[in-house]
Amino acid sequence: MAAQAPAFMGAPEVLIERLNRGVRKRNARWTFVRDHAFGDALTLRRFRLGNGLTVLTLVDRSAPTVSYHTWFRVGSRHERPGKTGLAHLFEHLMFSETRNHPHGDFDRLMERAGAEANAATWTDWTCYYENAPRDALPLLIELEADRMSNLVLRVPQVTSEKEVVANERKLRVDDDVEGKALELLYDGAFRRHPYRWPTIGWMKDIRGFTVRDCQEFYRTHYAPSNATVVIAGDFNEQKALSLVQEHYGGLSAARIAKLRAPSKEPSQRAERIFQLTAPTPTEKLLIGYRAPSFSDPDTPALVIANEVLFGGTSSRLQRLFCLDEEIALSVRGSISPFIDPGLFEMWIFLREGKRKADALRLLDREIERLGSKGPSPLELEKAINQLELSFLHSLETAGGKAEQIGFYETVANDGAAVFDRLAAYRRVTGTDVKRAVAKYLRPSRRTRVEILRKAS
Amino acid sequence: MSIFVESSDVLPLVDLEIALPVGSLQDPAGQEGLAQLTGHLMRRGPRGLSQERFEERLASLGARVSVEVSMRSTRIRATVLRRNLQPLLGLVADVVWQPALRTTDFAKLKRRTQAALIARLDDDQTLGAVCFREALFGEHPYGRTLSGDTDSLARIGIQQVKDFYARHVAKGVFLVGVAGDVSEVEVRSLIASHFPKARRATKKGFDVPATHIRRGRHVVIVDKPERTQTQLFIGTLGARTRDRNLFPLIVSNTAFGGTFSGPLMQQVRGVRGWSYGAYSRLLHSTQRDAWYMSTAPAAEYSADCAALQLDLLERWVDRGTKKADLDFAQRYLVNSHCFDRDTPSKRLEARLDVELLDIPRSYVDKYDQLVARVTRQQANDATRARISPRDLIIVVVATANEVASSFERLPGVKSLQIVPFDRR
Repeated sequence: MAAQAPAFMGAPEVLIERLNRGVRKRNARWTFVRDHAFGDALTLRRFRLGNGLTVLTLVDRSAPTVSYHTWFRVGSRHERPGKTGLAHLFEHLMFSETRNHPHGDFDRLMERAGAEANAATWTDWTCYYENAPRDALPLLIELEADRMSNLVLRVPQVTSEKEVVANERKLRVDDDVEGKALELLYDGAFRRHPYRWPTIGWMKDIRGFTVRDCQEFYRTHYAPSNATVVIAGDFNEQKALSLVQEHYGGLSAARIAKLRAPSKEPSQRAERIFQLTAPTPTEKLLIGYRAPSFSDPDTPALVIANEVLFGGTSSRLQRLFCLDEEIALSVRGSISPFIDPGLFEMWIFLREGKRKADALRLLDREIERLGSKGPSPLELEKAINQLELSFLHSLETAGGKAEQIGFYETVANDGAAVFDRLAAYRRVTGTDVKRAVAKYLRPSRRTRVEILRKAS
Repeated sequence: MSIFVESSDVLPLVDLEIALPVGSLQDPAGQEGLAQLTGHLMRRGPRGLSQERFEERLASLGARVSVEVSMRSTRIRATVLRRNLQPLLGLVADVVWQPALRTTDFAKLKRRTQAALIARLDDDQTLGAVCFREALFGEHPYGRTLSGDTDSLARIGIQQVKDFYARHVAKGVFLVGVAGDVSEVEVRSLIASHFPKARRATKKGFDVPATHIRRGRHVVIVDKPERTQTQLFIGTLGARTRDRNLFPLIVSNTAFGGTFSGPLMQQVRGVRGWSYGAYSRLLHSTQRDAWYMSTAPAAEYSADCAALQLDLLERWVDRGTKKADLDFAQRYLVNSHCFDRDTPSKRLEARLDVELLDIPRSYVDKYDQLVARVTRQQANDATRARISPRDLIIVVVATANEVASSFERLPGVKSLQIVPFDRR
């Protein structure tokens, strides 16, 4: 990134001293933790309020917008059987009424200000975000602080939102071949770890939630000490921190019970195969190899392997399956970015009349070749350049930067590690890729879902 | 030659766009899909470089190239790491001036396009959207799909593609846009050396006949087995780009179904929980394009949801929008407009649209004023003038025997047609 106006005119210690002047409540006192370089020109700053709320700021005046992200360390992994989907349902309920704002006020105030407000839930986290014109920042801070502790949960809203989520499940899973196959894959690949159930939850569980379930979930997981706020974009840092102090400083440092680590998944010793029959015009293969966690030192090499196999039209499998052999319409691969070990997912969308067995044979052959000979220097160069391009694109907007920082803070425990990942990709050698492929992409470590056509 | 530049040194990235005033509207009757096939065959690389080598060159530069064909334009878009801009420009220029257009690549591309048409049957939302446009526009060119269909693709040979290229691309009538980490001076010199034959695209668009409304309410059920949920599209004709009602209608539509807080979303999702999404959209083009509502209710209450939407629509048109709701929509549109221009590539896109699609410059330069000065009277008059609740196309992707009788009973329905999802 090129140079631009300094993010903040004074030293952070001076700023903190000024903000803490006259503040007696411990929960509302700021601590400056440290600065991190964010690329060549920007600085990411880490602050903490007395109640445990972590705040990361990134001033970037390239557009008159601001992005405000609140990441909670709670996702579907924190649920239990019979109550799956609660983290996601709760995300919906967070847009409901609070003690200070009636139902509908949140969305109306946000939209009136020109802000886009939304949220996402996955296995390890729940993220609430707003992308807004820069002048709207005080409103974002006030409303987010309010719903962190003042949410009101009543029967009508919970009932209506359960119906919305049931419909969302039908949209994304029940009537969607890919969604259904993914659900089957994770359910089959994991036996003990909570990654085995879908984040949206099983339909029976969604139907069964009560207001009490939701209240208990709120008390257990929603508190400043379990959250990180990321503010990125064109804003005055001192004013923003002062507003955060004003609105969050009164929240108590609620004790979040230390959650039991999820059961460790036993190692997989044989391939698992499942079949799914659906009204689909073409057959498909979904394969999940047991993969390391996002922070594992082997992951960058596997990400490079994914690029070599699936990244763009010149990748090995795209070329082989889609251009040379014309077996598939498309193929794609990705590694689940989870705190605990997840899956290296591979999709093969077969063309009409093509055989799964042929596709699997070709896939095995190519994986074996990569595991024994590794990538060529040109393949490594292509992979790293493509990853750099994707990485830079992800930082184009204030929202993109806030998302990356929040994700790395929550999943890798370091919001500033965004650029470290790119450096890690650059350090990967052909030998690293070869070793990672040989270690992880073995048939005995995979689960396979075969999607078959239902005769019409 | 027209060159548009949006410089920004925030990230070491550069976006390049070659924008041609040709799209699927220029497909000859019976050869629907020709413009898209031509664009996609050009994307397979220039003469003297196999597709494989071309793709490798792009990837090793940290570049991506895509071709997007719409009704009225073809956009060749490239994005590249700043340090590799120069070689990327050379490759893109070769694609434009000397595309290989090889017979073997063409045969593969055609097979791929056919396979994509089959794969599309998995996507209920796309099935519904395509069927809605076909039912709304009938034989009018706006009812065509960009990629054509099995029959029209079968009629296209490599010679038609070469002819289409010679007629619409080789003459060099296009715009060049560059956005990102590059100065205007540098861009002009680079473009002049790579695109010396380029000529300015005229604003005169391709003549398109007027679209006509189909009288009455007509239901089309796209019949697909085992649907627990339906995709529902309800709509009619909307506005032209150069319609004096356009901005009043944009504001009015935003108040009705353009936000989460609007009555459409609140009544369908907020109160009843019937659909994950519920929005109305207003499209505009040279002639009147579509206005429609889209929802995705469960099969068991899909017809009830449609009835509710029809009721909301009638109330919106008959009673108009309240002053407070109109103010809200205006504030939303003005305040959120910064997100239409928060990256250099978005700013570039807006400028190219003005030139290529004959959009009045004021729509971009004075957007905030045009939105803010819409009065309640204008908004409500525009809604009544353009949106006809009596003349609607209702498309639902569903398992027909579960919903047909309830949709037939919807008020004012003149006809109901059932179309198998895989035999259209």
